[in-house]
Order: sequence, then structure tokens, then C-alpha cells
Amino acid sequence: MYYFIFDAIKGSKGRAEAEKIKDVAREYSILSASSHISPARSASELVQDAMSKNFTTIICVGEDTLINDVVSAIINLCETPVALGIISTNPTSLLSERWGFKSIEEALETMKYRKLERFTAGMIDPNHFFLSSARIECRKPTRFVIEIDHFKIEAVLDRIEISNNLYVLLERFGKERSFFKSTFNWLAGKENTYADRSVFKGKIIKISSNESIPIFIGNREVAKTPINVFRKINALNIITKRDKIA
Amino acid sequence: MKQGDQVGTIVGSSVHLTGAIKDASDINIFGSVEGEVNSDERVVIEDTARVKGPVTAREIIVSGYVNGTVTAKERLELNASGTIKGNIDTKELLIHSGATFIGKSIMPEKESAGAIADNETFEAEVEEEKDEDADEEDDNEDILAGEDKK
Repeated sequence: MYYFIFDAIKGSKGRAEAEKIKDVAREYSILSASSHISPARSASELVQDAMSKNFTTIICVGEDTLINDVVSAIINLCETPVALGIISTNPTSLLSERWGFKSIEEALETMKYRKLERFTAGMIDPNHFFLSSARIECRKPTRFVIEIDHFKIEAVLDRIEISNNLYVLLERFGKERSFFKSTFNWLAGKENTYADRSVFKGKIIKISSNESIPIFIGNREVAKTPINVFRKINALNIITKRDKIA
Repeated sequence: MKQGDQVGTIVGSSVHLTGAIKDASDINIFGSVEGEVNSDERVVIEDTARVKGPVTAREIIVSGYVNGTVTAKERLELNASGTIKGNIDTKELLIHSGATFIGKSIMPEKESAGAIADNETFEAEVEEEKDEDADEEDDNEDILAGEDKK
């Protein structure tokens, strides 16, 4: 039987959606216990509650911040293997792209079937795990020094995004310098900006900057530069669709 | 980026990288790299790129500046805007008009094939010479036989 963790209720639409998920889960006979996070009960406390009641499957329903909090709590707290089901409620998120469902029925049928696959989690010191991505967004271009495995990068950047399997996307935005391109953009009604992007992959990433810049997982600030990012291979057992291998 | 995806490495134009980059998939360089570049697939050094160090890949396309040994297991293309200062080692080489190449080119397979071809020609020439000698000897024997009859 499954322990459901829901995001904090946001309005009547959110409440109705949560109730519908509970109803369908009851129909499929997989709902044993459910809780909503709140300022009084964090994701970590709810995972602890599930552990104390010997649940081996936790279904997380919510946005990236909640899902990453639950992921962190499972890896940090669970001594025995726990299966995690993800029902992402943010259709634009990376998690939704991986574990998106067309309907609540499809999502819960997948949860019931419980096909497990192992996934790698990213980790930011100290013990902040993530399944989606961690990101740094600067108000103004900032000089960073990034060490990835055997090489070192120096660059002025606006944004850094690190995925769970430690792909690093570095972005620098600027105004289009080419006269022709900027004229074309102006005529086409497009923004007159360009993005210079770099992509790397590593096993250990160290990021430092002149100023201390915050790093976010979902909407939560978890640390400030300098930071070290690692990966924990096959850290999670996640329920995936039968016909789709993410 | 999904788990298991083979996304290559991209070094943007605003990046200065020092150290060794190694990737099983493609590497595209727009910025500056000081160190070894190694890919199992393709390395593309764009117009804006500057690489100081050895470059090794299955296929290499150079439109920027490279100072170092370039080893392409299959094919090396040096575009008009490209510069290579260093030795190149490849199976197939294409240098466009306007490109700069300062160094020594080694094409091991072609060189060994060329050596075999040269040997074959030499042996054929030797055989022809041998045949000519044999004909001359036959002629001489005929002449000598005629003199004896007389």
C-alpha cells in the first residue's frame, strides 16, 4: 500500500484535483495514507512518518520543489529501499516531461503497476539531493570559475543549470552585435538578444564566484557559491510507465 | 536532458577552458581551450575558437585556430578560415583554399599503400629488365649457334 504526499493546497482547483487523485487511488485500492505538506509539516517529516509506518512506496504529487524535497528526504532518511512515484503538477517542468501523464487515471494505473527503474540524483553539499535541476541565476553577468573533473572553466555568465546526471548548461545573454541580425530581429519583431551556451558533463562540479550567489533547487535556495555538486548513481527507485523508458 | 542521453560537449564563445576535455560524443568549440581535446566521434572547431593543445577524434573539422597536433582517425577538414600550426595525422584530408597549415602531414595508411605500390612498380621493372636480358642472351646464343654451323 502507498503513502501519498501532496503539495500544500492552493485554492479550490488544487483541492479538487487532490481529492480526485485520492478518489481514483481508492478505486485502484492503492491509497493507505495521505498527507499535505504545510508550514507545520515538512516533506522530510512526512517521509519520516511514512518510514515509521513501514510504507515502502511513497507517491509524491506536486511541483518540483516538493518532489526534490521528498527525493532529498528519501535518500537522507530511508535505510531500506523505498519506491517513489511522481505525479508532477507543473506541466512545464522537466519532471513533467519525464513523468508526465495524460490523465489522473493513467498516472495512478502506472503507480499501481509499480514498474521500477533506478535513477541518479544530483547532490549539492550538504546533502541536498535533486532529481530535476539546480540552477544559479544572476541579476548581472558574473565571473565564475567552474571545475569539472579534469578541466577548469572561466567565464562571465548569467545563468547556470545543472541536471541530476550532472550535465551543466552555462548561459550568457547579450545584445545582438551583428547589424544585419539585429535589423532582421527588429523587422521580425523578435527580441534583439543572443544566448551563448555551453554544455559539459562531469562527475564532480565545483563552482565559485567573486560574489556569493545563491543556488536553487525548484524554488528553494539551498546553498550559496562556492558549492560542490556530485551525483549519487542509482540512488532512487522510481515508478515509470510500462511503455516509456525515460 | 534525460538520463542516458548522449549530449555532446559545447564550449561557448564566452568560455575559456583549461585542462583535458574527453567525450564519447561530439565536441563543438566556439571559445578558447588550452589543453587536450579528445572525442570518440567528431570535433568541430568553429571560426571563433582557439585551441592550444592536441586534438584527437574520428572526424575533425577546423574553421578556427589550432596550435597542436591534430589526429583524425578517419577524416580531417581544414576550412578556409581555419589555421593549424602543428602536425596532422589522418586517413583522409581536405584542405580548402585560403586555409593555413604549418606543419607536417602524416597519412600512415596511404604511405604504406604508396610503399607497396612503389615496390610493385620496382619489381615489375626488374622483371621487365630480366626478360630483356633473357631475350638478349637468347639472341646471343642464336648468333653463336649460327657461327658454329658456318
